[in-house]
Amino acid sequence: MDNVSLAFAAGEIHALVGENGAGKSTAIKIITGIYQPDSGEILYEGRPLHFQNYHESLKAGIDIVNQEIQLIPDSSIAENIMLDKMITRGKTGIINWKAVHEAARKYMEMVGLPLPSTTPMRHLSAAHKQLTQIAKALAANARVLLLDEPTSSLTQHEAENLFRILRGLRGSGATIIFVSHKFEEVFALCDRVSVLRDGRCVGTRSIQGLASDELVQMMIGRECKDTHLGTLDVDRGKEVLRVENLCRAEKANDISFTLYEGEILGFYGLVGSGRTEVARLIIGEDHPDSGSIHVRGRKARIHSVADSLYRYRLGYVTENRKEEGLLLKSSVQTNITITVWQRMVNRVTRRINPVREAETAERMVGDLAIKTPGLGERTENLSGGNQQKVSIGKWLAADCDILIIDEPTVGVDVGAKEQIHRLIWDLAKKRRKSIVLISSDMPEIIKVASRILVFREQRIVGELTGVDDAGKTYEEVSSAIGQFLA
Amino acid sequence: MTGTQPSTPDGMTSDFAAGSSRRTGGANPLFSGRTIGLVISAGILFAILGARSSSFLSPYTMEVLSRQIAIFALIALSQAVCLVVGGMNLSVGAIASIATVVLGLCMQNLHLPGLLAVPVVLVAGALAGFLNGFLITRLKIDSFIVTLSMMFVYMGLRSGISGGAPYALPDSFTFVGQKSLCGVPYALLLMVVVLALMSFVFRNTVFGRRLLATGGNADAARLSGVSTDAMIVWANVLSGFFAGLAAILWASKLGTAAPETGDGWLVVSFAVAIIGGTGLTGGVISVVGIFMGAVIFMLIKHGLVEVRANDYYANSFLGALVLLAIIVDRAREVYDARRKAATQRAR
Repeated sequence: MDNVSLAFAAGEIHALVGENGAGKSTAIKIITGIYQPDSGEILYEGRPLHFQNYHESLKAGIDIVNQEIQLIPDSSIAENIMLDKMITRGKTGIINWKAVHEAARKYMEMVGLPLPSTTPMRHLSAAHKQLTQIAKALAANARVLLLDEPTSSLTQHEAENLFRILRGLRGSGATIIFVSHKFEEVFALCDRVSVLRDGRCVGTRSIQGLASDELVQMMIGRECKDTHLGTLDVDRGKEVLRVENLCRAEKANDISFTLYEGEILGFYGLVGSGRTEVARLIIGEDHPDSGSIHVRGRKARIHSVADSLYRYRLGYVTENRKEEGLLLKSSVQTNITITVWQRMVNRVTRRINPVREAETAERMVGDLAIKTPGLGERTENLSGGNQQKVSIGKWLAADCDILIIDEPTVGVDVGAKEQIHRLIWDLAKKRRKSIVLISSDMPEIIKVASRILVFREQRIVGELTGVDDAGKTYEEVSSAIGQFLA
Repeated sequence: MTGTQPSTPDGMTSDFAAGSSRRTGGANPLFSGRTIGLVISAGILFAILGARSSSFLSPYTMEVLSRQIAIFALIALSQAVCLVVGGMNLSVGAIASIATVVLGLCMQNLHLPGLLAVPVVLVAGALAGFLNGFLITRLKIDSFIVTLSMMFVYMGLRSGISGGAPYALPDSFTFVGQKSLCGVPYALLLMVVVLALMSFVFRNTVFGRRLLATGGNADAARLSGVSTDAMIVWANVLSGFFAGLAAILWASKLGTAAPETGDGWLVVSFAVAIIGGTGLTGGVISVVGIFMGAVIFMLIKHGLVEVRANDYYANSFLGALVLLAIIVDRAREVYDARRKAATQRAR
């Protein structure tokens, strides 16, 4: 985040947009005191604010609504809304539950939460949890509301309901800061938009009279039309992975598809639409209720990631590389060679051959152009893009020729993003790998994939072929995806 | 760019990034900065104790102390293998006590020869560990809860079976615990062999590296094809095995199989492992560190006796020592993070 100035007015819904890693979430965290700025200040109604933590910002009337702020799962809706302002009987300290529930119901009505106030939080859907957070913010008398990707786990209908409530709050003079990377929402809901790119503010515009193209250009800093990487040579005769009628309660609903050699098959959909869930069913991290998986024409029995790796050469690059993809405290070498140690063992002494191990790691570092001071560098010290390359390299080291790559460019800077796109594309084009690319970044998936499956509510709702054809325009594909999701 | 030698902060610990060292000519450092700190601390303690009393440096005292150190190191190893995979084993002492009872039954009641009784005891320890690991992974219960409950289960069993009375052991059984080879106790030699083997396992074998990966980040390890549940079970089996081994040494040193063996081992296991640099959150172990931890622990214990500190307070000193070790490590971490941030800003 570098020298960013933003101004928000009372009674407006102000969008904060930018690509992944542009600095949106950081901006929000600085405003609410979760992070401290190195320099600069925040003025609220003309007065400078110095929040040491989130609690202070809440007291000043600024609240944040996102998935990270946890509600207490075993407490009721009313308790969560009224948590820090419980109504007591006089000064006795004994809670007046009747008054608490009454007060909570008032705020629940304001946000249109149609449930008994005694319902425990854990029974609520994502949408209802979000409404509870907003009700809680209202109860705290928040005048500035920050929403970080609020619709990422909502259905279309739920999102519309949320927008209606936000418009109502705007009418009553509240300031709403709305972080999103979905243009439709920004245009449908917001009054003004500020664009962040690489930690800088590119500009603030009024939504009225702003063209979608213009906004995209502000966001990515280049024309989105020159993003075509080229046509892949998919061998339709060689199916490498076929999934038939895969079902798992609340995770996958009758999923069937086929992946061919040299193909990049895109899984597009919102977070929670079932893409990652399907990937985890395939690699044996989760187990399907019914359905079958065929690898290279043979029915596969995969009970664990070890099976998918060692028996079927099928690799999965996780979406949260820091939490699930990498041993951050371990060396680059360890992270690359973890999949191939057992190939380098001396039969008698059981010793891993250190020379072969280093050679393998070195080859991957060279092949993928991983920038690291050395093979022994702790992986946590690498940049996001290079970490991502390490987590891809681990599967390439093990000669996996089927790769499922989940949200590869989240939290990666723009230059590295470009490189990773090129890398994935090259793997399919030049090294004949077959790849499933999971992404909720539409420009990314249109640019890299040759065929796209659209996911919604744990189903595949559409298929787009020939995405990589030279004649296909971005608008054509994106509007087709939009129609499937509508 | 890639030819650089892996610079893992602790070559011996965490990650072993073994490998390229050989090619680039460098050797894997067996002693990290932290371990060297331990060696220096031990040296200072040694010098102080030696200066205070002439009997300290006598071969007799050295033999007595080194036997004790060997047992402490094995107890700590039993804890450390569980810590390494991100768990813990509160039943280290309880497993040792049940192993002692099994030993007594084998030798006093069944009159088995030592060469047969020892394997039986080791298997019993490993089985108890396996039961812990099985419960942790199958029922998905935290290792704290499982091993806490099992501690009481094992302790109850040992009291129930033994009735509290010690078992007699034949004189020949004291060979390993009381005899020496050219002044070096067999117990110490045994410990050196075990530690060297474990060092090799953690540095150079797939099994050891997978144990470390499991503790470093279980999700990432599992999603990289490591059967993390199996690793956790194995760690607990090893833990039980080492607890059994320590119990055998203890009985051999005492000359009897006393059922109360293992009482108080829990504190020792954590203290020595932590002083020795075993990470509390998993993924980090230093086998040389464990040995040095045992040495320091023993010297301090001995020192407390030398200065005639009130023995009733001994545990308080040892507890404070563990806390000090953790604080020092924490301070190092914070210092490293600050230095890293400073160099990044400078860039």
